[in-house]
Amino acid sequence: MRVLLVEDDPMIAEAVRTALLQDGHAADLVGDGMAATTALRTSRFDIVLLDLGLPRKDGLGVLREMRARHDATPVIILTARDDVPSRIAGLDSGADDYLVKPFDLDELAARMRSAMRRSTGRSSPVIEHGAIRLDPATHEVSLDGQPVNLSAREYAVLEALLQRPGMVLSRAALEDRLYGFGGTIESNAVEVYIHALRRKLGADTIRTQRGAGYFIPRTPES
Amino acid sequence: MRSIRSQLMLALLVLMTAASLLAGSIAYRRALHETSSLFDYQLRQMALSLRDEASVAAGIVLPPHPADSDFVIQIWDIFGSRIYFSGPEDQPFIDKAVLGYSDLTLGQQRWRVYSLALEDGVIQVAQPWSVRERLARTVALRVLVPLLLLLPLLALGAAWAVDRAIRPLNRVTAEVEQRDEHSLAPIAGPPLPVEIAPLVGELNRLLARLSAAFASQRAFVADAAHELRSPLTALSLQLQLLERARDSAESDLARQRLRAAIDRATHLVGQLLALARNEPEQTHAVLMPVDLATIAGEAIAETQPLADARGTRLELAADTRPRVNGEADSLRILGRNLVDNAVRYSPAGSQVSVRVQRTADGAPQLVVEDQGQGIPASDRERAFDRFYRRENCGEGGTGLGLAIVSAIARRHRARVELADASPHGLRVTVTFPRSQDLL
Repeated sequence: MRVLLVEDDPMIAEAVRTALLQDGHAADLVGDGMAATTALRTSRFDIVLLDLGLPRKDGLGVLREMRARHDATPVIILTARDDVPSRIAGLDSGADDYLVKPFDLDELAARMRSAMRRSTGRSSPVIEHGAIRLDPATHEVSLDGQPVNLSAREYAVLEALLQRPGMVLSRAALEDRLYGFGGTIESNAVEVYIHALRRKLGADTIRTQRGAGYFIPRTPES
Repeated sequence: MRSIRSQLMLALLVLMTAASLLAGSIAYRRALHETSSLFDYQLRQMALSLRDEASVAAGIVLPPHPADSDFVIQIWDIFGSRIYFSGPEDQPFIDKAVLGYSDLTLGQQRWRVYSLALEDGVIQVAQPWSVRERLARTVALRVLVPLLLLLPLLALGAAWAVDRAIRPLNRVTAEVEQRDEHSLAPIAGPPLPVEIAPLVGELNRLLARLSAAFASQRAFVADAAHELRSPLTALSLQLQLLERARDSAESDLARQRLRAAIDRATHLVGQLLALARNEPEQTHAVLMPVDLATIAGEAIAETQPLADARGTRLELAADTRPRVNGEADSLRILGRNLVDNAVRYSPAGSQVSVRVQRTADGAPQLVVEDQGQGIPASDRERAFDRFYRRENCGEGGTGLGLAIVSAIARRHRARVELADASPHGLRVTVTFPRSQDLL
């Protein structure tokens, strides 16, 4: 997943980013509210982790501005404000979840998965598509009940495509999933991962839409 | 326990009794005086009427006077022999006569006597004083008895009045009883009597001061708890990263960051303690003459490692060595915070200069100048607030440095001023009182 992490405390931000990268996500980090708004206007993220006490523009301001633009990207608030009125204000402003510092990294990962499930309209955490089964909690993928060994980036590409079957994702969109703003990618990286996935899951699993990108058909062929 | 109520009641009762007795005694005296003049007149009239009725020379003998009469009449002839005596024959009686009014004592009894000279003898009419005194007593009692009977009623009335008078006091007591550290609202209500209004006024001022102190303490604790969350979060996250590290490179990095997070939490706690110790409520420690240039030198020495790491040059200029009266430890913290801030908020490779000097009128000054972005004039008031952080500086400071500086300066009656340095940066000037003002 491509995550926007909005956090003004450099130590916390660095730690969360490390954890996100270890979990196979791409994390972009901004340190103030204005930068967060700019990033949200110019790029697409799968999920936003938002601190409330931010310089220049408060976290709730960022959130309200997002929702006013009908940007439905899931938002999890990460904050030190643990009083009930603050939680209510956060959720009412359009947050999907509210996590009080200090928090557990595994709990954060679980809440991110749950927020993603809700945003994609699935109730079960496990994605099943034909013979493919993907568990976001464990990053385990199986084909016909047989475990398939995927690298973190292969997994990220597969998860992105499986979240909305039928939807075409451009190469750029997939690259965004793999790297943050800063990362440098080789020009054919996405093709390499798609190729590897086709080899491991079957050539017809991922289709190519010429000039547009890649997709997984809505109804799997049996 | 001494009670105003019982003291007042006792005093009132004693005074009222005394006043009643005084009134009775005055009535007695006045009555005695008045009956005296009346009876004196009567004595004289009796003597005169006897003179008219009886002629001693004619030898008319008056009928014996009734024995129970208050009066005793004697008549002497010209030769001095008693020719008439109204009392019992065997009773010894006055045998001398002073013309006009006189007082005589016979045995236990005092007599009022009037003697009138006739051509051929003397008529003497006498009356015991006790008759007059009895009458005066009766009059006095008539005054005294109703007053004494009224006394219980007066006592009740006084009790009511006293209760009424001290009711505001009781109300204030009840109000004060309800007060504790959570309810420090001023004592309100209808206007109080002038006797207790100043006390309540002072009490309210004390309550207001207490309330402000408590509020500031609570705010401090709340702020501190909130601010401790960030370093604790960082700590907890770094520990989790260490636990989930998959190889030695990851675990080394996590360990290194964990140490940084611990250093940061330790620093924050130290700063919080420094601030708490220098709160104005804290009692003054012993003041000693402290060399300001030494303080500045120590501050620079302590900050040198940070400055070296950032490539910042530290410069000290002290052409005088003014001494200020203060606490060396607090002043060291003040100096360290100023220099540390200056290094942190300056671009790498810049210069921080520290000067120790005197103003034109001899007041010691510590000046710290950096080449950073400075603090905009609109923010300079807030800059001394706890947990104020400059925006966009990217420095995860505690936000307590200037608050600590300000608290320590206040304790030393020093002034802290923020100004722009030229061409850019922040100049902090701490001006101490002249040492002779202190010593």
